[in-house]
Amino acid sequence: MRTLGATGAVLGGGAGLIYALFIGVPVIALLVKSAEQGGLLESLSGDFAVTALKLSLITSAIAMVLVILVGTPFAYLLARSDSLLLRLVDSLVELPIVLPPVVAGVAMLMTFGRQGILGPHLAGLGINLPFTAAAVVCAQIFVAAPFFVRSAKIGFQSVAQEYEDISQTLGASPISTFLRLTLPLAGPSMIAGLALAWARAISEFGATMMFAGNLTGKTQTLPLAIMTALQSDLTEALALSVLLMAGAVLVLVALGLATRRHWQGRV
Amino acid sequence: MTAHHTEGWVRYSIGSFSLESQWTVAAAQVMVLFGASGAGKSTMLRLVAGLACPASGRIEIGGQVVYDSATGVWLPAHRRRVGYLTQQYHLFPHLSVGQNIGYGLGALPRAERQERVRQWLAIFHLDGMDRRRPWELSGGQRQRVALARALAPGPDLLLLDEPFSSLDAELRRILRGELRSMLAQRGIPVILVTHDREEALAVGDWVQVMDQGRDVADGTPLEVLGQPGQGRVARLVGVENLLDLTVESRNSIDGTMFCTGGGLRLEVPLDEPATAGEPQAGELLTGPAVSGDRVRVGIRASDIILAEDDPRGMSARNRIQGTVAAVEARPPGYTVTLDCGLPLQCHITGASLAEMGITPGRRLWAVFKASSCFLVQD
Repeated sequence: MRTLGATGAVLGGGAGLIYALFIGVPVIALLVKSAEQGGLLESLSGDFAVTALKLSLITSAIAMVLVILVGTPFAYLLARSDSLLLRLVDSLVELPIVLPPVVAGVAMLMTFGRQGILGPHLAGLGINLPFTAAAVVCAQIFVAAPFFVRSAKIGFQSVAQEYEDISQTLGASPISTFLRLTLPLAGPSMIAGLALAWARAISEFGATMMFAGNLTGKTQTLPLAIMTALQSDLTEALALSVLLMAGAVLVLVALGLATRRHWQGRV
Repeated sequence: MTAHHTEGWVRYSIGSFSLESQWTVAAAQVMVLFGASGAGKSTMLRLVAGLACPASGRIEIGGQVVYDSATGVWLPAHRRRVGYLTQQYHLFPHLSVGQNIGYGLGALPRAERQERVRQWLAIFHLDGMDRRRPWELSGGQRQRVALARALAPGPDLLLLDEPFSSLDAELRRILRGELRSMLAQRGIPVILVTHDREEALAVGDWVQVMDQGRDVADGTPLEVLGQPGQGRVARLVGVENLLDLTVESRNSIDGTMFCTGGGLRLEVPLDEPATAGEPQAGELLTGPAVSGDRVRVGIRASDIILAEDDPRGMSARNRIQGTVAAVEARPPGYTVTLDCGLPLQCHITGASLAEMGITPGRRLWAVFKASSCFLVQD
């Protein structure tokens, strides 16, 4: 490691401390206030919390399954092709990461809403998407999928073409090669991407609010429930917040484990 | 033993690069595909393996037509029974040594597969390394595992892409030996890609030179790489000195002739066909060189001796004085460029350079035998 000058150490250390406090104090404040309040477990086992938690888990799980099913082959194509069109699509994929979620919600309303460009046609077929649990899933996919696709693409890119070539000359068909070789090698990257995407889907608020609304038992996910609870019952809001934070910490730990494979950096 | 054999021709193009080549390799023979990087050698291997699709052609491997543009036959890579070895070996990092070798034996029952893997480990002196991980192996061991993995499914053809280039000289020698005995036993034909002349001479039964996607010469390694008959090939195989001279007189008793140019006068072998038998059509048409004819003469830099004084009482027929124009490092030795009217490049060791104190501006003598010179057609 290079040695820092004394000035560098003081500057870097000071900045680091400020940064750590800025993140750390609110986290501690949340825990302290929750402890003061008490009755967290009762709140969490109440109908209001359980309903929101269930909805969040089910919708995000469905969203992740769809993201994996569509995102994996798409990410593979992005990683292996060098066509100009795909490179354009590639940059479009990341748009939802920088787009404000509220805008995403409005955009989805303009697509599937009653005044949207597809909405009336779908309504004719008996499909009404807005303000349903399906809309929650759509909003989650919209904002979260890019995290998975991006990470999976990087994972596939790290698998040199020669590995797949050799696998095929050893008698493995392209699909068998993908399952036996490419998938395991890109796996850590894909799991990391999935964890980020899931965290993003669980915490989704803006797009859900716009496109799916805040209907208890139907579209009210945990983040929306927190906002609702904050207006009437602080204990409830704190309990749900602590729950989400615990989930976030779990995601971080899982990320660390998933990306630490013994062959990492040796491919 | 089945009569392994491969032959074919392909045409292929991608962007501005085009490739056209044909080949025939008999059982247990090693064909060296020789050329500079970018010549299309690796692309050729990919076409034969079925990892890229030619524009047209016909490929036969182990008695089976795997590709024929005329009849629309196309077998994908995983059904061609071809072993393919890359320069970096590409052992699968998520699998153990044993799993790597057994990768192509998926169709066998588990017990039989393990037995086969054990046999291959023994053949390549890898006993007990079954559970090792690829990164725990030395370079030579990796190469052996990669070779065992390629041979385990019983391929009809082996394609080797610079398989020895990342090993040291001693290991290369050993592994080349192992490869040769393996091939002799199993009768598999091999196409080996290299740009290393020593390697081509050491392992090749036949050499095919490729330049810019075209076959430019072929023959036994000594014919093609020893004293290449074509200027293009001569440059590719690294003949450093190519001199354009004029025939002055023929000396048929000694089998030599004198050639001059740029103030030089060299004694070189007569332009008789190098090989016995029927002269080639081209040679009959051009006939022997006569006085006044232009010829191109090749001399290897390593065949030239440098001397401080005019060497007397020597059998070497060519002694030429010149001035040192440049000294360049060429690990492990040096290249000295001697200006003798025409520039002559000579290879010497670091010890010679230091002992003789060779620096630019020194007057030195270049000495070489008439038989070190050879005629080159273009």
